[in-house]
Amino acid sequence: MDAAKTLGKTLVASPDRQQEADSDMAVVRKVQAGDVAAFDQLVMKYRERVYGVVYHLTSNREDAADLTQDAFIKAFQSVNRFQGQSSFFTWLYRIAVNSTLSHLRKSRLRTFFSFEKIDEEDRVSAEVIAALTDATGADRETFARELQEKLNEAMQKLSIKHRTVITLFEIDGLSHQEIAEVMECSVGTVRSRLHYAKQLLQSELQPYIRR
Amino acid sequence: MNQKKQTVSLEDLLKVKRAERPPAEFWAEFDRELRAKQLAAIVTPRPWWAPFIRVGARLSNYQLPVGAAAILALSLITLRETQTPAARPATLPDIAMPALAVGATALTQHRAELAPASAAPSAKQIAELAAPVELAATIAPGASSHAVPLEEEHPEPAEPSPSARYIAANLAAAQADDPGLMKQLFGAMVRRTEVREPVRDPLTQVAAPGETRRSRLLATALPAMATTSDVMLEPNDRAARHLTEERLYDSISRIGVKGDRVAIRF
Repeated sequence: MDAAKTLGKTLVASPDRQQEADSDMAVVRKVQAGDVAAFDQLVMKYRERVYGVVYHLTSNREDAADLTQDAFIKAFQSVNRFQGQSSFFTWLYRIAVNSTLSHLRKSRLRTFFSFEKIDEEDRVSAEVIAALTDATGADRETFARELQEKLNEAMQKLSIKHRTVITLFEIDGLSHQEIAEVMECSVGTVRSRLHYAKQLLQSELQPYIRR
Repeated sequence: MNQKKQTVSLEDLLKVKRAERPPAEFWAEFDRELRAKQLAAIVTPRPWWAPFIRVGARLSNYQLPVGAAAILALSLITLRETQTPAARPATLPDIAMPALAVGATALTQHRAELAPASAAPSAKQIAELAAPVELAATIAPGASSHAVPLEEEHPEPAEPSPSARYIAANLAAAQADDPGLMKQLFGAMVRRTEVREPVRDPLTQVAAPGETRRSRLLATALPAMATTSDVMLEPNDRAARHLTEERLYDSISRIGVKGDRVAIRF
């Protein structure tokens, strides 16, 4: 039952997403009608998620901030051409991901990291770090920093497309279908890339995995 | 809870990554920058070529068919251009012969204008000036195999044209009025025509490198010969042709001229 629910979530967008898409479309109509201030609602709603995706793709907080702003500007400039064939957030994600991929391709040879701090109030991450440090007896803060570096290094070893898929699925929680729409590829391609990316990450992060 | 987290999977590690978030104050700065960029985007007009980029981006999805169509179109245009008769280069007779004929006619007219009405040139001169084909013939007498076949394409007329006859009559009248002037006027032209050398093959005018070298060496080795007449040079030239270059160099090293003395070493 639980497995079926998870499978359903990964394959199609949930009803909540559909509701969300409808409310976004209403705001978009306002912006298209000339209410420029209405666009701020969309910015406020999606800025953290878009920033998160771009940050996990680049592993650089300054680049992520610039690219997220650029994505919103592009969306604002093109909002009149938005027909509503896909949901607004899919469209916005596509703009952000394409801008980021373009940036990563241009600056492939000069990558450097600048990390955000791990949110100490996040319960899930705190549990994982606690489990790992209890086993090794290491200092939690030092271990968390080390783990963060290893995670980002492992992510950057993936190709841009594999990194995008794993970011959208595992970190941002999009379904296969939504990822396929964002990346403009088939669902099968998404699954294949996801499988391959997980295999690579598994081998890279083997010392931190406890079975 | 701790019991549950004894195992750590890849998905759990990625949840740690998800917890990397910027602090709250970051968003204030983010909003301020975004507002500034948004205003700039509103104020700054979009470039005129922006729609083309969009079209190009859409076409990039169809790279193969668009590329194939472009290559096909280019091939068809090239094929069409190469088969057009207008593209064929004009042959030399097409261009040269009318130009020559026009040039000759203009020359005869010019001469006719110069000539006084009562002058009477000699019959030979009149015949020479009134026949434009002869002018073309004097340009390339004894032409080589590359010469333009003028006579084949434009055969010489059996009798002079009416304009030539008219010019000849004018010249005859001018000769009758002032023979001295006509003599002065046409004397120079006739002389120039006579002095003009026939066109020779350029390759025959170029001296062989061996000949040049030989003459230079002979000039230093046998200085007395250079001062003698051409008649005297002929046998020496013949003799020099029989000398090989080695012998010539040898003779230079053995013969030394200094002041009024000639030293020969053996």
